[in-house]
Amino acid sequence: MNELTEGRPGQRLLMMGNQAIARGALEAGVSVAAGYPGTPSSEIIENLAGVAAAAGIYVEWSVNEKVAAEVAAAASFAGLRSLCVMKQNGVNVASDFLLHLAGGGTRGGMVLVPCDDPGALSSINEGESRHFARLLEIPLLEPGDFQEAKDMIKWAFELSEQIGNLVMVRSVTRLSHASGNVELGPMPDFRPKARFRHTGFILDPRQGAVSSAPVAYKHDLQQQKLEKAQDAFENALFNTYTGPENPELLVITASACNLYCREAIEILGLSDRAGLLKLATTWPLPNNLVGRYLEKTGRVLIVEEVIPFLEENIKILAAELALEIGAKTIHAKRDKTLPSVGEMHPDHVIAALAKIFDLSYEAVSADYTEKAGLCVLAGAPGRDLTFCPGCPHRASYWILHNVLALDNREGFVCGDIGCYSLGMRETGYFSLKTMHAMGSGTGLASGFGKLGPFGMDQSIVAVSGDSTFFHAVMPALVNAVHYNADITLVVFDNSGTAMTGFQPHPGLETDAMGQSAPAVDIEAVCRALGAQTTVCDPFEMDQTRDILLEKVSGKNGVQVVIMRRACALSPARRGRPEYEMYLDPQICIGENCGCNKLCTRVFKCPGLNWDDQNRCARIDEVICAGCGVCASVCPAGAITRKKRT
Amino acid sequence: MQVLGPGDLHREVLETGLCVGCGACIHLCPYFHTWQGKTAMVFSCNRQKGRCHAFCPKTEVDLDALSRLAGLGEYSGDPLGAYQQIFAARAGDAAVRGDFQDGGTVSALIGYALETGRIDAAVLTGKKGLMPEPALVTRVRDVAGYAGSGYAAAPTLAALNQGVNQGYQQMGVVGTPCQMTAVALMRENPMADENFSDPVALTIGLFCTWALDARGLMAFMEKRLPGEEIRKIRIPPPPAEILVAETRNHAVEIALDEIRDLVLQGCGLCPDMTAEWADVSVGAMEQNPGYNTLVVRTEKGRQLTADAAAAGYLEVWDLPQSGRGCLERAAAVKKRRAFGRAVETGRVNSEKIGPAVLRVNARALEKMTAGPGGAHE
Repeated sequence: MNELTEGRPGQRLLMMGNQAIARGALEAGVSVAAGYPGTPSSEIIENLAGVAAAAGIYVEWSVNEKVAAEVAAAASFAGLRSLCVMKQNGVNVASDFLLHLAGGGTRGGMVLVPCDDPGALSSINEGESRHFARLLEIPLLEPGDFQEAKDMIKWAFELSEQIGNLVMVRSVTRLSHASGNVELGPMPDFRPKARFRHTGFILDPRQGAVSSAPVAYKHDLQQQKLEKAQDAFENALFNTYTGPENPELLVITASACNLYCREAIEILGLSDRAGLLKLATTWPLPNNLVGRYLEKTGRVLIVEEVIPFLEENIKILAAELALEIGAKTIHAKRDKTLPSVGEMHPDHVIAALAKIFDLSYEAVSADYTEKAGLCVLAGAPGRDLTFCPGCPHRASYWILHNVLALDNREGFVCGDIGCYSLGMRETGYFSLKTMHAMGSGTGLASGFGKLGPFGMDQSIVAVSGDSTFFHAVMPALVNAVHYNADITLVVFDNSGTAMTGFQPHPGLETDAMGQSAPAVDIEAVCRALGAQTTVCDPFEMDQTRDILLEKVSGKNGVQVVIMRRACALSPARRGRPEYEMYLDPQICIGENCGCNKLCTRVFKCPGLNWDDQNRCARIDEVICAGCGVCASVCPAGAITRKKRT
Repeated sequence: MQVLGPGDLHREVLETGLCVGCGACIHLCPYFHTWQGKTAMVFSCNRQKGRCHAFCPKTEVDLDALSRLAGLGEYSGDPLGAYQQIFAARAGDAAVRGDFQDGGTVSALIGYALETGRIDAAVLTGKKGLMPEPALVTRVRDVAGYAGSGYAAAPTLAALNQGVNQGYQQMGVVGTPCQMTAVALMRENPMADENFSDPVALTIGLFCTWALDARGLMAFMEKRLPGEEIRKIRIPPPPAEILVAETRNHAVEIALDEIRDLVLQGCGLCPDMTAEWADVSVGAMEQNPGYNTLVVRTEKGRQLTADAAAAGYLEVWDLPQSGRGCLERAAAVKKRRAFGRAVETGRVNSEKIGPAVLRVNARALEKMTAGPGGAHE
């Protein structure tokens, strides 16, 4: 039984935030869901895809977030409810379309769920999607617990249809990936029919063409929609207040910070001195509601994650209301009461409250960091982030590193987003020298590749994953080909969106719902784009190195090398080791001149250990994935492999 | 000569641009590789001592120590080094013919040494286009294919190390003075390896004034003679001051000044023109195209020369004293220049180890630096 579709109304289940969001969409009668994988958002689409057939909905992993938004918007234009899901970076990608969409409006309810990653636990920035709500002039909702994660999705669909525009429901890592009790609601039994009505008067929002033009007219309409949402927010039951009638301090918060504030107030025993206003509707703010609570006290603490979004909006409101409600002392990020980088934490809130109330409560002892550091140094083995045993990226970077070293012109790799971002670290032999957005590696390489006339004589390599290739590399590759940039693009094709959990992409023969789908061939695409293209196996190290060396050292415009080898964790591989590995300690040169522990000191597959007692390398049979690559790395021939039958 | 580690070698020789790409550090380990004429350290190695450093002719060269290794006393500082005889020579009728640079003496000697089992393999240098490639040759008939000079620095000794790995035990090595220095260092077993046995049975040195950066030469020729296949490069004797590049149809003269920038920086600190640490040394014979100058240094070299001549592989004529003047003058100039630069940059008998430190006794130093172009100038 899949509780996502078959859980009964009234039943209470322990649900992950992302499951609750998915269930909320199902209860709201969503018909189409589209997204691009990205932590911490991926489980929403995965959960919906898993029940697509049972629920009679369409779910896809789109090629990128902009297309996901377009796919979802199409469903909305046809009168269906649609959900669009992405991590915060995805909103950047989708934003061009979204700005036009918000200007033109939607029909069937459409909800955008960005999942932010404060503290960048699984990201390389901690950018925020909340500002997009203000930029796009669309309503923003922020669930404060798991129940709300489900319920607010449903409400967001209703609100979207009520105002005729996109609604954003923002989640964060600690909501998406934590679990809590959720009481289920009823599932709909009504299936709307899809029809895009376009034959009415051009400006008719239900029957005409859809566009953000004429701009001033539509923009005015859009702002009226926002005001309508703001009116609805004044009475939203999701905005709650707990605490004394006239608190000494009003704490205003939203999202997962709600839980931190509750915990901090309870720990410090401040429930009769501090009041907690938990806002679920954070843009536009319900002015009257917030004003009413501001009026109750002279001191305010605003708790939110990363940059001061709520703080700025509340301060604007407080300034506007100053004559009526008096001036307020507002503690938040701008006065450094709370940090404006990294994740929020109950300890941060405790420290802030203790300072404001002049309490001597030490949430964390002053020397905690120092002590923890010493414990780590003394107790934990020195481990860097590393590729898995048997990972094709390790072999690919080994080859790349060797090629650039032999080429000997201070060549470098422009990187991208995926497991292979680790190429910036030791496990990728520090090969990656730039890392930005998806597709940026190839775009940057295209630019570097035109600097020859300015004296640049370095080899330029871009790397891209297979999913990333479709996501954002193709336009950059077209650019590089068209302008004849001297670059080599190496596509690390491990047959799946590995880092986020093997979501399918257009290069594979299966779609998100498990249906067979025509695969788009990366090799054929590259050839068609005019790049000289070769497919290699990174596990055939010598051969692949020679091919890559020739490509990298020549000045022949854009070269593409597709390193094709499925991820070691890929479900398709079913964890079966390809080889049995043997290491002969008699042959191992060990730390002597001629090797100096190449496999354990430099190559560093976790499946290889240094045997300190016998002064030789050793294969860790538990960890070894049997990929066979280290047999090519060993300079002495001490490591051999036997094909498993 | 103190042995340090690969990190020192990388810092002192590769990063300073003093590497002449001789190949001595190649195929010893997974860290040093050569590709297209350039030596690269692909990963760091933290050993405190390594053969790479021990074999490198650019870390430091103790001429007195090398002289003693050759069974001589302290280094004399004589322009041509120690020798027994000097001949004019060329390949004899019994030798396989090839596209010789000059008289084919080297090919003839190597062919003869292989034929008679004096060596089990020959370490030679071939070419792919203008790019030199080391080669390990075991068949007499293949030797002629490696005739001719390219003037580009070649990692020839990579083939020697490869030969060691493959188990050859009596190799004949043909190389430039820096390579002969490296071979002398290798044969000393500087890492005191218990299982060491000298893998070299014969060394034939080539006269060398300097070598060109191989990649630079290729790029230069591609720019100068785009799309043309260059079959041979030769540098006529002074005062021509030109390099002649021969293509299928014509010979193009290029002023040496045009390629001066391509001369390896490390060559400027080399005091050895005539490969003083080889069994025999061979070079062009000025004023006599088609003949070689053959300097016989060791007993082994003397025997080989005599036997090869007797067997018809080689033709030799005594070079009269008067014919040696030009050669001696040129060799003395190279010594003076190298030691001049080395003195200027504090590299002579420096307390500090490497890079490119030259060690030599005071008497020889005085002899080598006196005269025009030297430190006393």
